[in-house]
Amino acid sequence: MTNHQKLEQLFLDVFLIEPSEYRLDLRRSEVDTWDSLGVVSLGVGIEETFGYHPTPAEARALASVPDVIALLESRGIGFDG
Amino acid sequence: MRIIHEGEGKCTAEDLAEAWSSSATFAFVARKSNVDTAWLERALASLPAALRHRHFCLLTSGTTGMPKLVVGARTRAEALARVLHEAQDGEPVEESIGMLPLAYSYAFVNQWLWARVHQRRLVTTPGLRAPGEALGALERARAATLCLVPSQLPLLFRHCTARTFPRVIRLHFAGGRFPEERLDDVRRVFPEARIYNNYGCAEAMPRLCVRVAEVGSSGRAGDVGRPLPGVELAASASAELSFRSPYRAVAQIDADGLHAFEDDEWLPTGDLAEQAPGGRWEIAGRADEVFKRYGEKVSVPSVLAAVGQVYRGEVGHHRDEDRGGEDGYVLVLCPAPSSVEVTTILHALRKTFARSQWPLRIESVDVMPVLPNGKPDTRALARARRAIRVTHWDQRV
Repeated sequence: MTNHQKLEQLFLDVFLIEPSEYRLDLRRSEVDTWDSLGVVSLGVGIEETFGYHPTPAEARALASVPDVIALLESRGIGFDG
Repeated sequence: MRIIHEGEGKCTAEDLAEAWSSSATFAFVARKSNVDTAWLERALASLPAALRHRHFCLLTSGTTGMPKLVVGARTRAEALARVLHEAQDGEPVEESIGMLPLAYSYAFVNQWLWARVHQRRLVTTPGLRAPGEALGALERARAATLCLVPSQLPLLFRHCTARTFPRVIRLHFAGGRFPEERLDDVRRVFPEARIYNNYGCAEAMPRLCVRVAEVGSSGRAGDVGRPLPGVELAASASAELSFRSPYRAVAQIDADGLHAFEDDEWLPTGDLAEQAPGGRWEIAGRADEVFKRYGEKVSVPSVLAAVGQVYRGEVGHHRDEDRGGEDGYVLVLCPAPSSVEVTTILHALRKTFARSQWPLRIESVDVMPVLPNGKPDTRALARARRAIRVTHWDQRV
């Protein structure tokens, strides 16, 4: 499974969205379940899936799928291909 | 003082009839009661002289985990059996088929005592422990009444498949949230039955309200209807429901000793409720099943109702805390759901509830632990740590 696929699966699992709702440019404002508890849930999920534990400030700053990818890439987790 | 253990010695119904006819107070306990006999004997020995005759004692299911012996007066219980006969249009009924332990106050009053007072035949069965025998009794029924708890339905449907029981003409539910979302299935299996939602508690011995589930009625599982004649209900500012009833227990014995109820005493039901227009009452759930999580009200019964609409197995829960120490709960399914079922459940949760109301996890067990009265045993589920539970989804909070 590629990291893109892992991230998509994580979003489906954390925010309970349908596969058809997931997009690479999906934003927090478009996901009703991306609330404050969703921020916590996404942070824990990122650690479980990618092995990097975002700080609370980093998790709160995430506002889109590209933000998550950028954070992980900055920690050496690649999303090429 | 006599202790009758259900299913031991000669026919339980005969033992009960004999005990009911004699003056001495007796205790009637379930076959698989986990209550220490020495505790029970001490509790009975503590009864004052006034309660040593013409009374009876039943053990509650012990959702708190502490045994509690509830003392009823026979005249009060017989009066309730007559009131129930009117409220549930019992006259056309010829026999009562037992599929629950008779030591459960619901089955004891609604079935054994009702049959005795109204001189109807009582047919006892081992219940769904021996489904062939129990379903055979339903097929041979003659204008029968049947009492079930909602948690029996998944197993009943599994054994019934295409079978129907048109000779059951009265069907009662109590001992848990009324299975409003399963009524179509229930009506398919019992096509001629008038279905009743019975509400009460052991201290009420046991009935407070009865509502007939008409096609197209409120459709709300929490709607218990109006109080029976003579029964009063009241909710506090925080929605805790209390009652006064001429049929209720007269005393209880628990770890704190004997507590004799005063005639005008309001007794807590342990439920949260509010009165709806027209005098009907709506139960939100057990006080310990409705709680605040991050400032939002969580009603576990409401979640269980939503899950019951999309998952046909048994559904239980237990309380737990999230990683931050905030109160929450875990949904427990039996049998293990498929991945499609988990997704369907999750989407149903998202559609209806805020995230703070979602379960912390969705787990499954191979066998749902149940109390003697058939309800899922939430304490046993909480104790059954990860070794026997499979996690299908984790909210990760």
